[in-house]
Amino acid sequence: MENINHPTALADEPTLPFLPPPTRFAVPPKNAGRKRIRGLKPPAYSLSSSSDPAVFSSDDDPALDNYIHGRRKKRYVGTWYDQHPASSDSADSAMGDDMRPPLLKPRPQRQFKRQFDSGVWMQADISTDADENMELDPSISRLPISHSAPLRPRYSEEEASAQQIVQSCIDVGREEVDLSALQLCSIPNAILELISLIVPIPTVAKDVAFEQRDPDIKLFLSNNFLRQFPSAIINIEHLTVLSLRGNRLTELPPAIASLKNLETLNIAQNKLRSLPGELLSLMKAGSKLTDVQLHPNPFYQPRVPNYCPSGMEEYERGTFGPKGDADMCESWHGFTTTLLARTPVQFSYHSTVVSRFEFPTATSLPAHLRKLDLEELWFLEIPKVIRKTIGPLLDEPRASTPKGAPPLFEMALRAAARYPDRESTKCMLGERGVPRHFTPAFERAAHIFDMGSQTCCVCGRDTIMPLTEWVEFREVQRTHVVVMGQTENWYSTRVSNNGDEHCVPFVRKGCSWSCIPFKASEPSEDLELVPEV
Amino acid sequence: MATNSDGARNTKYVTMISGDGFEFVVLREACLLSPTIKGMLRGSFSEAKTGRCVFPEITGPVLEKVVEYLYYYHKNVNVPYVPDMEIPVELCLVLLEAADYFQLDKQMT
Repeated sequence: MENINHPTALADEPTLPFLPPPTRFAVPPKNAGRKRIRGLKPPAYSLSSSSDPAVFSSDDDPALDNYIHGRRKKRYVGTWYDQHPASSDSADSAMGDDMRPPLLKPRPQRQFKRQFDSGVWMQADISTDADENMELDPSISRLPISHSAPLRPRYSEEEASAQQIVQSCIDVGREEVDLSALQLCSIPNAILELISLIVPIPTVAKDVAFEQRDPDIKLFLSNNFLRQFPSAIINIEHLTVLSLRGNRLTELPPAIASLKNLETLNIAQNKLRSLPGELLSLMKAGSKLTDVQLHPNPFYQPRVPNYCPSGMEEYERGTFGPKGDADMCESWHGFTTTLLARTPVQFSYHSTVVSRFEFPTATSLPAHLRKLDLEELWFLEIPKVIRKTIGPLLDEPRASTPKGAPPLFEMALRAAARYPDRESTKCMLGERGVPRHFTPAFERAAHIFDMGSQTCCVCGRDTIMPLTEWVEFREVQRTHVVVMGQTENWYSTRVSNNGDEHCVPFVRKGCSWSCIPFKASEPSEDLELVPEV
Repeated sequence: MATNSDGARNTKYVTMISGDGFEFVVLREACLLSPTIKGMLRGSFSEAKTGRCVFPEITGPVLEKVVEYLYYYHKNVNVPYVPDMEIPVELCLVLLEAADYFQLDKQMT
């Protein structure tokens, strides 16, 4: 096969295989039947990427003929990323020309963009010019990184120092956490939760068996500016000493009764007007509480100072069920209380008080307004509206265990209080068309939820919207029980002989209108009654 | 189902229909917990005659939850320490309104 264009000057040189025709010249196949058909048109720039199938025809057919049929080596022009994968000759040519798909498919212009996982961008040893010219701004990342990473709670200076103290207590295993006089206005629960992590380091001495003991945590929060009882305290199981002296607390949570290991409680010099009735469970025979400082506090006082109720036993047994006073098998000393009087019951409905008797709501009260009316234990004033509803229930025997389901309203309220986004809930409740009593009911429920829990004092059901409320005035006594053989000797002394500190108010809350004090039977005529003022 | 007015009064079931057309056939005894429904099923109201109560302001999912509550309550009368019924957060505010409407807002026992 002669190429006419071949220069004759080279004719005497040793024969070399002829170069394939540059382009355009079509060479008819020789043995069309047996051999592979090359394309009549040599492929234009077949822009195929390196990952395409083999380009050497020898892979398919080792015959050298293949090399003289206008076959040309693939050439790549332009940058690597402009190379499009195209069908390779070797694969397609077998199908014949007719079936050959178009070599250059129309492709959209490739957008240049940075691909983070591409090796090209990963600081290769050999960098190309393009790399160096690229300005890669590391601050702007296109990866979907959430920018709302949880921020660490920012503590104020006082809170930070409190945290340091707690942390150092954990580090050295010290059980006295002294956070007093740090000018704390509030203390985040996150800090107090750390206190549960304190583990005492046992004393190791010769000839003493190693013994693991429960921590004996003492928490001093005295002389701060706390307005709310830090609710995380009630979760510190092994708390034995709690001092909240000299704060601005207006209320103790009912859940304080869950601090069963508490031995010392100091709540003097606060703004407490009453104590939760649940605290009484720590002030009875058998409990561990041995030291209580309650005064001074602006407590409610009875309007009639020296009051001697009748039917006390009946009231206590009827309202709160039979007392489970366990027989003391060993000597005990602690606190007990005796009932002195009780106020009328405040009934509320739709977050408004419907009874004549109402607790003052103002935040600060002069002493004469802190005096509350009293009611005989055999008398029970129930507003007419409520009497109509609960009338038949009054005669039924009291349930000492909660029975039946809570009202739907309360269940929905609880679900709402559990939801953390309080502000948006309040906004929705403030919209037009929503009954107005929803917002105060929700606020109260949220408050009770934050403070732990509130149980009905009569039926023991967990409630988030108590409907009845009354105060019991009790005398707190320091009591010693000495057991000698089969006999128990009880010695009680008043905690305080000061007239103002004689009566301590304990708030009782009921979950329904029928969770009210038991009406003691009327005393006989000859007993002189103290008139209500 | 009885069709005459006297018959409907004593049927065992009552049909509650939501505003968007969902119908719930509920035990009459369970329904009577709600003073609102009790009032509807009394006297000469059309609901009392037909035994069908339509609540145009209440949507299907909410009414379904209310009906669930009615049965939950009915089942647990006199059962001590009742387990809580699940209330989804997204429904709690509408359920507050529904509870207010059905007067299921205070402890009855």
